[in-house]
Amino acid sequence: MSATAIGIDRVSKVFGGKVALDEVSLTLAAGTFTVLLGPSGSGKTTLLRCLAGIERPTSGSIRLNDVVVASERGVVGPEKRNLSMVFQDYALWPHLTVERNVGYPLAGSSMSKAARTDRVAMLLSQVGIAHLKDRYPNELSGGEQQRVALARALAAEVGLVLFDEPLSNLDADRREQLRIAIATLTRESGATAVYITHDQAEAFALADNVGVLSQGRLVQFGPPETIYRQPANAFVTRFTGVSGELPVRAWSVRSSDRAQVTLGIDGSPELDATMGGGLTPGCAASVLVRPAGVTLVAPTDEGSLVGVVRDTAFTGRGYEHVVALQGGVELSKVFATNRSERGAAVGVRCEPSALFLMPTDEGLPS
Amino acid sequence: MFDSLVVSTTSAVLAVAMATLMAWLVHRTNLWGRRFWSGAMWVLMLVPTWMTTLGWIDVLQPGELATALGYHSLFLYHHFFGPDGIIFVLTTAAMPFSYFIISVGMRGLGSEFEDAARVHGASRLRAVRTVLPIIAPALLSAFAISFAESMSDFGVAFTLGSGAHFPIATYVLFNAIYSFPANFPVAAVIAGVLILSTVPPVYLQSRVMRGRSYAVLSGRTRGVRRHEFSTPARLAVTAAVATVMFLILGLPLTGAITSSFTNTASFLTPTGVHWTLESYRQIFNAPPAFTALGGPLLTSNELGVLVASGTVILALVLAKRLASRTAGAAQGVMDSFLLGSVAIPGIVLGIGYIFFYDQRFITQHVVDLYETLPLLVMGLIASATPGQARLLTGPVAQIQSSLAEAARVHGATRWRAWRTTSLPLMSRAILWAWLLTFTKTISELAIAQILYQPGHEPVSVTVETYLGTIFATIGSAATVLTLVEMLGVIVVVLTLFRFVTPRGWRRIGEAVVPS
Repeated sequence: MSATAIGIDRVSKVFGGKVALDEVSLTLAAGTFTVLLGPSGSGKTTLLRCLAGIERPTSGSIRLNDVVVASERGVVGPEKRNLSMVFQDYALWPHLTVERNVGYPLAGSSMSKAARTDRVAMLLSQVGIAHLKDRYPNELSGGEQQRVALARALAAEVGLVLFDEPLSNLDADRREQLRIAIATLTRESGATAVYITHDQAEAFALADNVGVLSQGRLVQFGPPETIYRQPANAFVTRFTGVSGELPVRAWSVRSSDRAQVTLGIDGSPELDATMGGGLTPGCAASVLVRPAGVTLVAPTDEGSLVGVVRDTAFTGRGYEHVVALQGGVELSKVFATNRSERGAAVGVRCEPSALFLMPTDEGLPS
Repeated sequence: MFDSLVVSTTSAVLAVAMATLMAWLVHRTNLWGRRFWSGAMWVLMLVPTWMTTLGWIDVLQPGELATALGYHSLFLYHHFFGPDGIIFVLTTAAMPFSYFIISVGMRGLGSEFEDAARVHGASRLRAVRTVLPIIAPALLSAFAISFAESMSDFGVAFTLGSGAHFPIATYVLFNAIYSFPANFPVAAVIAGVLILSTVPPVYLQSRVMRGRSYAVLSGRTRGVRRHEFSTPARLAVTAAVATVMFLILGLPLTGAITSSFTNTASFLTPTGVHWTLESYRQIFNAPPAFTALGGPLLTSNELGVLVASGTVILALVLAKRLASRTAGAAQGVMDSFLLGSVAIPGIVLGIGYIFFYDQRFITQHVVDLYETLPLLVMGLIASATPGQARLLTGPVAQIQSSLAEAARVHGATRWRAWRTTSLPLMSRAILWAWLLTFTKTISELAIAQILYQPGHEPVSVTVETYLGTIFATIGSAATVLTLVEMLGVIVVVLTLFRFVTPRGWRRIGEAVVPS
């Protein structure tokens, strides 16, 4: 088995006049783990289904290992693309046992029956459900069903494994366990992986590269660190996690990528923020604040924003607070190792690296 | 025509209501004798309406079974020859259709939907009301097909409508064609109106289903859970079901069977009842100018296998198309066309085939099929396919598309994906559709009578030649034997299904013990 390199060139898909994908272009190296991140309706599922061969692009082309599998001239069927897929609803066949579900992709292979049985047993063991091999899907829990789906996807040692929001139906504990199983087993298999989700934490935890989609367009593509630290626009910033948005009274360019910002909150200090794309001199803007860069301090702390605690939540390693600043602006997920009670006056310190100055008139979904 | 609409609508509503209740009792409760009641519905389906009617006449007519048992049945006998009797027979005939369509929906409907309603505060009744729309495709298919079958039924119109001076459309149509001189314009108008009458139910169905998905059968579907009646309630419900089934099936069958074991003009003679096997002896040594049962029975079975197999294949293709939510206007047109085709009486279809295939140009330059077995097979397939396509639409619509997609992305060709994923999930529905077509083909009379190949008459034609003559009891005996033979085939096929198919195929929709 060799991993599949993927070339997506200006792929569009229109459903009855509604544009689901709008000229998406993307190149994925063989053996990498790519996560397509976006809200509902962003086109990520459609793109995945076009890769799988379940949907036919309206225009554009898709290459797998330099072989064109979809273009205006025709499409190659899913069974000839050397891929597998984990479905959101698992898509386990209810009339087949766990063992036969997992062994299904091997049925047409040249492996002997004994080798197939061994391979299925090994996979079931790897995903931790070897003892359930004779059960039927409706006799399994959601997590167990998803493990069967994962084992089935890895069974045939294909070059490309697709994941369609596989963890969205699971509870937090099982999500974490299965996320680790997906990350390790898929990488061990050596296959290229394309995974779609609307959960940025899941995306950053799994991906070598993240592609952010919005309204059928690819907005940004790159390593998780780049997406988080240098978001292309306000949409990407918001979708990958913000504590809140601070109003800006005035701003000026400080260096090539940084700006000096005066907030529209009386008595607040001047802030240093990263400049986002699309800013023009004098345009209306706001500061988007990453949660990782805000901490709770004493209200007297120099350079902090002053506010009142509205809510507090214990997270295990400490406390996350919701702080109402003057003027009614709220910041959430403000971390502190100690609890501050509701109504307490506090200060919020913002790291410059967590502040992004973005134009306010982008009109992109929040 | 108006009489036909009223009678058919009433029959279809009653049939769907009774069938829904029956399907729920059999598939979702701990009713006693569930397999038996399901089998009884099969028998009810096998019995053609003309035979039910004759069975009732054998019971109610003065001098027959009711009289022999000491009941004065004249009042009921007069009522039977009127709209009440027609509605009663059509309802009992349409009920098994509806029952099997709705059963498939209920088998595929896991208990999670009911549970969701209950935990959100719904009473048991409200939970049922909440869940029923999920099987809306099945309910609406059942109503549409019951209505169309009632509109096109000929057997009851012929046997009851004429005697009751309550002529319904198919009987008027029959008269228009078979009176002298034949009035083809009137026949054509009636046939057209019959087809148009199916537009409202199709419109209703498409309005309700517009843009909604009813795919509920997937790997995550939980097994159904039965409602547990208390012992007294269980006893009462079982007794009620037994009474209803006896009235709609047991009594007319008893009438026909007892008639076949006598050889006298009426069941009760001045010297009592004379039991004899003479009719059964004579059916294999036919009187002069009549045909013995063996040859026709064989011909009918051959026809049944050919027609059922061809119909199921065609119907599956059409059902897949009908179940597709993206088919748009083309789906509406095909749906209307198919349902319209169900409403074409067999007698019209048969005559249409003769008109077309007997034309000199066709026989000399295209194909000479007139008075051949292939023409009869074509006619019967054409007659059976629309109904079966609609019957299979419910089960096809219930299968999540991701199951076949999963097969494709895991290396299966289109054929293998269908064979290994969709086919097993639909196997029960396909099996039932095949058996239904097989049995209906054997009992079909109108097309068979018009298109059969001389020297190879089907059993229904043979039986019909006996009824209404002094050898009517031989006809009754032939009917009883044909029914027994059809039941035998059903038992054999179901047994084969049980032993030949993998266990997983048979698990779909099986009830689980409540946990």
